[in-house]
Amino acid sequence: MTMTRREAFKNLAKGSLPLLAAGCVSTVLPEVAHAEEVPMPKGALGLLYDATKCVGCKSCMVACNQANDLAPDTRTDGLHQAPDAVNSFTKNIIKLYRTADGSDHSYFKQQCMHCADPACMAACMFGGLRKDKETGIVWWKGSMCVGCRYCEIACPFHIPAFTWDGFNPKITKCELCRERLAKGLQPGCTTVCPTQAVIYGRREDLLKEAKRRISASPGRYFENKVYGEVDGGGTQVLYLSRVAFDKLGLPALGEESIPERLKFQHTAYKWLALPIALYAGMVAFAGKNFKEHAHHLVEDQKKTGLRPQL
Amino acid sequence: MAKIEKETIAQSLKNAGYSRRDFLQLCTTIVATAPMGLALTEKANPAAVAKAVAKAKKPSVVWLHFQDCTGCSETLLRTSKPDVADLILNIISLDYHETLMVACGQQAEDALNSAVSENAGKFVLVVEGSIPTKEQGIYMKLGGRPAIDVLKDIGSKAAAIIAMGSCASWGGVPSADPNPTGAVGVDSIIKDKPIVNIPGCPPNPYTLLGVVLEYAVMGKLPKLDDLKRPKFAYDRLIHDHCPRRAHFDAGRFAGQFGDAGHNQGYCLFKLGCKGPVTHAGCSTRHFNEMVDAWPIGIGAPCFGCTEKSVGFRMAAFDRVDVHLATPPDTYAPISGSVGTFGAAAAGLVGIAAGALGGAAWATSQKLKSSEEAIADEARKTTAGGK
Amino acid sequence: MTRWERSVPVYGVPVLNRGFWGLLIVVVVGFLLAGFREVVGLGSGVSGMSDPFAWGLWKNFNVMVLTGLGSGGFAVGIAAWIFNRTKLHQVMRVALLTSFLAYSTGLIMLGIDVGRPWNFYWVIMPWHWNLASPLLEVAVCISFYATVPLLLENLPPLFEYLIYESPKWRGFAESCEKALTKVYPFVVGLAYILPIMHQSSLGALMLLGGDRVNALWQTPFLPLIYVWAAAFLGYNCVVLCLLLAKVTWKRDIDPEVLAELNKLTCWVVFAWTAFRFLDILVRGKIMLALIPSYYSGLFWTEIILITGSAYVLYSEKGKNLQTMFLAHALCALGGMIYRFSPTTLAFRPRNGAFYFPTAIELTVSIGFMALAVLGYLVAVKKLAILPGSNADWLKMAKYEEQVKPGIQLTGYAPAKH
Repeated sequence: MTMTRREAFKNLAKGSLPLLAAGCVSTVLPEVAHAEEVPMPKGALGLLYDATKCVGCKSCMVACNQANDLAPDTRTDGLHQAPDAVNSFTKNIIKLYRTADGSDHSYFKQQCMHCADPACMAACMFGGLRKDKETGIVWWKGSMCVGCRYCEIACPFHIPAFTWDGFNPKITKCELCRERLAKGLQPGCTTVCPTQAVIYGRREDLLKEAKRRISASPGRYFENKVYGEVDGGGTQVLYLSRVAFDKLGLPALGEESIPERLKFQHTAYKWLALPIALYAGMVAFAGKNFKEHAHHLVEDQKKTGLRPQL
Repeated sequence: MAKIEKETIAQSLKNAGYSRRDFLQLCTTIVATAPMGLALTEKANPAAVAKAVAKAKKPSVVWLHFQDCTGCSETLLRTSKPDVADLILNIISLDYHETLMVACGQQAEDALNSAVSENAGKFVLVVEGSIPTKEQGIYMKLGGRPAIDVLKDIGSKAAAIIAMGSCASWGGVPSADPNPTGAVGVDSIIKDKPIVNIPGCPPNPYTLLGVVLEYAVMGKLPKLDDLKRPKFAYDRLIHDHCPRRAHFDAGRFAGQFGDAGHNQGYCLFKLGCKGPVTHAGCSTRHFNEMVDAWPIGIGAPCFGCTEKSVGFRMAAFDRVDVHLATPPDTYAPISGSVGTFGAAAAGLVGIAAGALGGAAWATSQKLKSSEEAIADEARKTTAGGK
Repeated sequence: MTRWERSVPVYGVPVLNRGFWGLLIVVVVGFLLAGFREVVGLGSGVSGMSDPFAWGLWKNFNVMVLTGLGSGGFAVGIAAWIFNRTKLHQVMRVALLTSFLAYSTGLIMLGIDVGRPWNFYWVIMPWHWNLASPLLEVAVCISFYATVPLLLENLPPLFEYLIYESPKWRGFAESCEKALTKVYPFVVGLAYILPIMHQSSLGALMLLGGDRVNALWQTPFLPLIYVWAAAFLGYNCVVLCLLLAKVTWKRDIDPEVLAELNKLTCWVVFAWTAFRFLDILVRGKIMLALIPSYYSGLFWTEIILITGSAYVLYSEKGKNLQTMFLAHALCALGGMIYRFSPTTLAFRPRNGAFYFPTAIELTVSIGFMALAVLGYLVAVKKLAILPGSNADWLKMAKYEEQVKPGIQLTGYAPAKH
C-alpha cells in the first residue's frame, strides 16, 4: 500500500516525537547554572607538594615502594627503579619537565590527587573505589573490582594503574599510606623528603600553608595559584609550582568535578521515572498492534493451513 | 710469673710517655671510626671520649689463633694512632698473642694459663681463624689439644668473645667448598657467651678497637645485628656508601679490567662487584690509614669478604642482584611514549579488511548480475507477452 | 521478486559444509588465545592496551560497535510493533537473531576483557550497585536484556522447530509458545526500552573521558547520538543480511519490505546527521571540522560514508539491489567508525600514548565475530528465520517431507467452530 507524502510526514512526526521528547527530557531539561559545591570531608587529609622546593632526589619513590611493600619497577634494565609513569609497581613518581633547550625545568611528583568528587569512584560499577568518610582518602577495594578499567578512562590525572601481566590484576594507586596513618606514622614519601617539598597534614591546614607561602613570596608561584583548591571540584593533594601547571601534566580543569558531566544522565534515570513511562507507552502500543497482528495471523492460517509464526 | 697490676688506661699511657695530644688524637680517630651506633662515641666530643676512656681500667685481652692467616693481626698492626705498641700495652692489656708475644713453648703455655686464671670471668677473648670440626677437630691443635677443645675451655672463662675476621665469624677461607676440615665460626661452637662477630678479610682494625673500648669503658658490648655484628660498622651495604654509586646510577660501568670505563673509575658492578649484597664499612673507612686503600678504591670489585653466602662462595665475576633497586639519575618525562604497532597485527588487519572488501565486492557483483537477469526476464516476458 | 509472508528455513544446504568448518577453526583459535589471555594477563603482547589506553578492541569494537550493529532487534522492532509498520514483521526474526548473536558474543567478549571476572556476581545485588556509574547501567541492562527479553523473543523459531521435529518436546514447546504469546507485549516493551537505555549509556560512558575525546565527538548529547546511530546500524545490518541471503541461497526479495527499510534508514540517518551538525555548531566547534587534520578527516569520512550512502539510497538508484547493498554496507561502515571514534579513533589520552591491537587481540576478536556468523548460519538453516513466501514454505515442506518422512509442515488449519 503506497503512502502519501502527508502520511509519510505524519508518521515520521509520530515516530520521532516520542524519541525526541525522551531525548530532550533526558539531556536538555535539567538546568544546572554552575557546579554544585563539592563537600570536602571534615577530617580531609592530603599532601602539599611545592615543586619549587623539590630537588628531584627521588627518595620518595624508594620510600613509597618500601612503605607499601611493593617491588620496585626494574623492568628497564633490571638494576634501577626507573618507571616512566605511575603503574602497577609505582604509586608515586618524580617526573622532570624540561624545555627543549634546557633553559627551564621543574620536577613534578605525581600520585593520586584524592579528589573531593572522584571521577574514578563515580565510574566504578560496584564501588571498588571508595572514599573514606573522615579522611577523604580514595582507596581500592579488590573484592568489588571487576577489572573493567573504567576508572582509568575517567581519571583526569591518569592515575589508576592496572596490572597488565598475570591473571590476578589489581588497581594500584596512592592511598596516602592509610595503614601507616592508622599507626600514627606519616606517609612514606613525606617521611623521607629531605627538603620538605612534599608535606602531609589536614587539607585545610595545607591550603592555609600554601596560601601563606604565596603571599610570603609574591611572584614565586605560577599565577599565585594553588592547584587543587577548586580544580576538578577540589582535590586533597595540592600543588604549588613556578612553571605552568599544564606543563607539568596537570590538566586545566574548571571548578566542575568530573562526575558533574553525568548530571543529565542521573536526572534522566531519576527514580527510573522516564524509562518506566516510556515502557508503559510501548507496552500499550505494542499490545494494541499485537492484537491486530494476531487477528491477521488467524485469518492467514484459515486461508493457508500453515501454522502461524509468532 | 709476676702479676701485672691493672692500671687505668690514663695511668698506663702516662707511664708509657703518651702525650695528652696523642691521646686526644686517638680518641678523635675512634670517634671518626664510629660516629654512630657506639655508646662510647655518642658523646661525639673527642675530649669527652678521652675523659671516659682515661678513667677506664685496661681490659685484659687474650687472643687465640686457630685456622688463620694472621691477616687480622696484621690489620691491627696497620694502625698508627695509636701505634701497635701503645695499643697492646697501654690501652688494652694484650696478655696472650702468639704472633706478637716474645714467649714460646712452655713459657707461652704458662702465659696463657696465668692470663686466663688471673682474669677469669673478666677478660675479653679475641678469636682469629676458623675452628675445624671434622675428625674430632684434629686439623688444628694448640699444645696438643684440638682447637675446638681449647675454645670451649678458654671461652667458658671469658667475659665476652670477639670473633675477629670472617674465619672466626663464620668459617672464612678454610670453609670454602669442599670445606675439608669442617671449618666453622666461633658462634657455631660457643652458645652461652656474648659473642661479637667482626667479619672481614681482614676487617678494619678500628672496628675491633671500638668494640673493645666500648666494653672497657661502658661495661657492655655495642648494639649487634642478628648476625652478631656491631651495627655501627655493619649496618650498611657497600653499595649504599660507595663513592662510585653515582656511576652506577648513571649507568656507567667498567666492562673489562683496563678498558676506558675502568680507567675512568666507573662502577665495577659488571665486573662482579658484590657491593650490593655486602655489609661492611670499607667504603668510608678504607685500610692502612690511606685514602682509597680499599678494593673498589683501587679498581678491584668487592668480593663480599664479610658475608657468609658471598665471600669465598660466589664466583668472582658473577653478578649479584641489587635487592633494593633505586632510581637512576635519569628522569621520566612528563609524557612518556606508550604503545607499539606490530607488523603481524597490521598484516592481520590488512587481510581482514581485504577479505571483507573482497566479499562485499563479490556480493555486489552477484547482485548486479541477478538484477540484470531479472531485467532480462522482464524484457523477455513483456516481449513474449506482446 | 516476491511477497514475504512467513519465515522459511534455508533448506537443501548442508550445515556442516566448508564454510562451517572454516569458521569453526577460526572460532577455536580465538578461544584458545582467549584462554591464553586468561593465564598470562592482558599485557606483554597479548593485547595492545596500556594504562593510557585502558580500553581496546574487545570492549570498543566487539561490544560497543557490534552491539550497535546488532541493534536490529529494537530498531526494526520499534518500527514494526510500536509504529505498526506491519510489513516489517516478516524481517523481525532476522533482526532478532542478529541482535542476539551480537549481544551474546559481545557479552562473552566482555567477560574475557575484564581483569577480575570472578567479581561480576555483584551485578545481581542492587544494594551494591553504584548508581552514579553509567557502566553499571550498561552492565545490568545488557545482562538483563540479553538473558531475558532478547532471548525470549528469539525462542519462537526454536519452539516451532521442536513442534515440527520432536514429538517428545512438542507439548512442552506448544505450551511455552502459548505462554509467551500471552506476555508478548510486555516482553517486547522491555526489549525496546532496555536497548535504548544501554545504547545511550554506552555513549554516556565517554562523557567521563572529557577532552580525551576530540571535541567533534565529545558532547553532552553523546548518549542520544550514540543510540540514534545504533538505530540505523540495525537497519543496515538487517538489509545486508537479506541481500546476502539472496546471493548465497538464492532467496527471493520482497521489494516493498526493502523499500520500507531503506526509507526508515534514510530518515533516521538524515535526522542523525542534522542533529550532529547542529550540536557541533551550537558548541562552537565547527572550525575543527573545517581545518584539515586527522580528526576532521575522520569526521568527514564518517559523514560521507553515512549520509552520502543514505542520500544515494534515497534516490532512484537506491532501488537497484547492487547500489542498495553498497549503500547499506558503506553506511554501516561509517556508523561503525562513528561508534568506534569516541573510544578509540578520536580518543587521545595524553601525548605520546598510542594504541594498536596486537595480532592476538585481533584474532580473538575475529574469532568471536566468526562465532556469531557461525551461529547465524546454523540458525538460518535449522530454524525458520529468513523471510519467504507461502509458496516457498510449501516448496520447503515438500523437500523436508522427502528427507524426513513423517514430518508435518502443512495442514494446520484452525478448527472450525
